[in-house]
Amino acid sequence: METFLLTVYVLMWPVIVAGVLWTVCRGFFKDWAESRKAGRSII
Amino acid sequence: MGRGAPLEACTVDYAELQALLDVTEGNCVPNDAELFQLSGWTVVLLLILVYGGTLLVSAYIGKKKENADGYMTAGNKVGFGISAASMTATWIWASSMYASATAGYTYGISGPIHYGLWGALMILFIYPFGKRIRAVAPKAHTLAEVMHARHGRSSQLMLAGSNIVGSVISLTSNFIAGGALVALLSPFSFGQGVLAVAVGVLLYTLWSGFRASVLTDFAQVVAMLGAVVVIIPVVFFAAGGPDMFIQGADNLTPEQSNFFSSEAFLNQGAPYIAAVLAYAIGNQTIAQRLFAVREDLIKKTFVTATIGYGATVIGIGLLGVMALYLGMAPAGGDVNNLIPQMASTFLGPVLLCLFFVMILGALSSTADSDLSALSSIMMADVYGKNVAKKANPKTMLLVGRITMIVATAAALIFASQQMDILDLLVFVGALWGALVFPVIASFYWGKVTNKAFTTSVIVALAVFIPVRFSWFPMDGVTGILFDILSVAGIGIVLGLMAFGFFGLKPAKIIGSIAALASAPFVIGFLHDYTVLTGSLVAYAVSTIICYLMSVRSKQDFDFALIKQRIGDYDPQDDDGTHPDEDLDSSAVPTRK
Repeated sequence: METFLLTVYVLMWPVIVAGVLWTVCRGFFKDWAESRKAGRSII
Repeated sequence: MGRGAPLEACTVDYAELQALLDVTEGNCVPNDAELFQLSGWTVVLLLILVYGGTLLVSAYIGKKKENADGYMTAGNKVGFGISAASMTATWIWASSMYASATAGYTYGISGPIHYGLWGALMILFIYPFGKRIRAVAPKAHTLAEVMHARHGRSSQLMLAGSNIVGSVISLTSNFIAGGALVALLSPFSFGQGVLAVAVGVLLYTLWSGFRASVLTDFAQVVAMLGAVVVIIPVVFFAAGGPDMFIQGADNLTPEQSNFFSSEAFLNQGAPYIAAVLAYAIGNQTIAQRLFAVREDLIKKTFVTATIGYGATVIGIGLLGVMALYLGMAPAGGDVNNLIPQMASTFLGPVLLCLFFVMILGALSSTADSDLSALSSIMMADVYGKNVAKKANPKTMLLVGRITMIVATAAALIFASQQMDILDLLVFVGALWGALVFPVIASFYWGKVTNKAFTTSVIVALAVFIPVRFSWFPMDGVTGILFDILSVAGIGIVLGLMAFGFFGLKPAKIIGSIAALASAPFVIGFLHDYTVLTGSLVAYAVSTIICYLMSVRSKQDFDFALIKQRIGDYDPQDDDGTHPDEDLDSSAVPTRK
């Protein structure tokens, strides 16, 4: 049980990081699409 | 980008940075030792890929005539994706990864939590204050500029000065980390690595400033976080997977295998909790992003960055825990070699290249933010508010670019010559701690005066120094007196953290409970820990003096004045036009 919990403890962080990466990328491409639609630079 | 503070936390970072310096003094693994290295051509190609790529991104958004305000804050309307990526990338630097792994190796399974979690909360706890700051100063460029509008020059320069020293130290540390990485994993020398990183970062940041910094941060965060997602599981299973925890259990002490280790909390966690607000207030890199992001996206951006930073740094820190389970001794006796050592032991050449890019992305994204922070302080706080009678946007841009070149040259010299500027961390950290209450109170309480602000910070610093360096014995009544001040410091720190989220009444209750609950454990005991005592006393003294001097003042500052005193410097719009409303002279700030 302890080994299982430690394995989860190690592998949960890359999963959370992947979630953040997905969120940030989705936000970026949404910003990108909106800025192109408005004919201005993304930043 | 965890930064220095007046606490034991500061000594953690200090030790990490000092250890990075030691790499240049021959304490690292010799180039022909057991660490697998990348070939010279591979490293050159990776450097061209990283810095050539970021230069292309920067050129893509570059304009022949950059806007001075855009150079500092990108027009105050950056979207969620870029701003969240930028805040995450800026706060993650090479030293935070190394320090987290060291915490894991030293304190066991809870070590990375006590490094990464509290470092992440530095981003989280500043956002409620950030919303208030944006409300009173929507067009500001730096926090010190707002202090100028609120109080005047002495408060402004005190904050700006601490920001400058902090950013130069951070810039130097990132160059050192780059040199150390190149020296460890390639045939090139430390000096060649430092030079490559410094030139690479300067090239892509120089023309467009903050705009280039935040957009390239997105590319760097994709590389960094993408690498973390791949590298941690690969190393974990290559090192033996779950069996590692069974076979290596004997390598841990009972304290190291305890998730609720009091040793890890007292030595790593507690000092960092006290540093949360000091770090956040002391960094122009955070303030710049608070002013740049669209106002309605502040919370979403900072919560995302908190999770991104925390998960990345804790995850990488677990490489140190794995090294502990494996019974691995740090190469050359230097714990800073643990991460490169784990990478070169368990990753193949392709993933080692990915690891190289991850560390390069971490240090470059923080270094470019430091350059942008330094240039905006020199542009807005020095030139805009203290030199020019009416700021000229063209001159302002020139000031910003010259600042970047000078700062890079200075950090290059500090890094290459191994000048011991890290001692400054102790003082700048103490200054940040002393600034926390006066800065925060200045945004909410109209009675805080410039005199109260300045006096409280100077006196707090004057008390901090003899306590921190044990200039007098802490026996008897003296020790008890400073312990009582430390108790007040604990109440103030936790009260301020609560105030941002819950308001004044709950903050007073939480602060009082924290002080009363800690008193039996602190009084008669804490004064032996001079570093932690010094920082808590700095908080307490600055708060008590600032409060006592302000509560009797008849001033009731009108916060609407700040909005009138701070505006855009550059009437030229982003597309090069000159809209009439921006040409109204009242919108162009002049020297007061």
